Amino acid sequence: MPRRAPLTWRVATVARLQPETPSATTLILDVPQWPGHLAGQHVDVRLTAEDGYEAERSYSIASAPEDPHLAITIERIDDGEVSPYLTDELRPGDPVELRGPIGGYFTWEVADGGPLLLLAGGSGLVPLMAMLRHRAAATSDAAATVLVSARSWEDVLYRDELATHDEHGVTVRYTLTRRQPPEWTGWAGRVSAEMLRELGADRPEPLRVFVCGPTGFVERVADLLVQLGRDPHAIKTERFGPTGGS
Amino acid sequence: MTDASDQHTDGNAIAGILQEIFVAEFTTLERTCQSCGDRNPAGAHRSYRGAGIVLRCPHCNDVALRLAVLPDQYVFELRGAWSRRSEIAGLAGAE
Repeated sequence: MPRRAPLTWRVATVARLQPETPSATTLILDVPQWPGHLAGQHVDVRLTAEDGYEAERSYSIASAPEDPHLAITIERIDDGEVSPYLTDELRPGDPVELRGPIGGYFTWEVADGGPLLLLAGGSGLVPLMAMLRHRAAATSDAAATVLVSARSWEDVLYRDELATHDEHGVTVRYTLTRRQPPEWTGWAGRVSAEMLRELGADRPEPLRVFVCGPTGFVERVADLLVQLGRDPHAIKTERFGPTGGS
Repeated sequence: MTDASDQHTDGNAIAGILQEIFVAEFTTLERTCQSCGDRNPAGAHRSYRGAGIVLRCPHCNDVALRLAVLPDQYVFELRGAWSRRSEIAGLAGAE
């Protein structure tokens, strides 16, 4: 990936839309001259109204670098300025203006190795999913443990696909903060020190830790990890803000 | 009502605008804080948006970068010791 490339706006085309949850949709895009990306990077998406008004938002890339298309998963914020257009109005063939890939800090490559501990709050799962997809596409045997925190089972992104990763050396655990299905055997409530301990976060061996989600989630989980003895410099974080986007 | 501590994001969230200015990936730039001496990549810094953008040290919260977006220009100020290690073209892997 060229590190010194001017960041240019490109016009992508919607190839397909894939509903993920009642509030989230994945845009699968054809991007001309896409330079390639690393798992964990994001793109800026720009919408321009007829009167010239522009709105820009950042969205994490969900697809692996190996995928032929670029995928971004958008969580619809009801009173948002950008996300309702992307999830509800776009159709296959429509143009979308974007620039990227952006960011080099919150990234993981197979060559970096594991073991991985990936902690996702809501749509914070998106860049971590790119890492899992990259791990699978590159047939890496790096151990990976994933904790997904979501409001309810219906709100969990990529549920079926996560189950397939679970069979290939990835451990996936869930905590549902607001509503649990009948006979739920996973965790309930906000991420706790006990959960992190059970995932091995307090063990002394090195771990590549990635935490992503709304700011409150990331701050809380990172604080718990430091309390469990992890080096704050070895915890990579990405914060989506109060609600996780708009 | 959102908790005030939820309002910030981090260096990753402003990586696009900073790459536009620096014409290079910004989030992996390392910064040693002028106040506490802690060393962190730009991506790990907290980011606050108001009239402009302020990046703050993740350890002591002192100001690391101030950026104002004016109609036709960006004005920014960096604080602390910023550094980057980059390979010399053609010599990568030759060490």
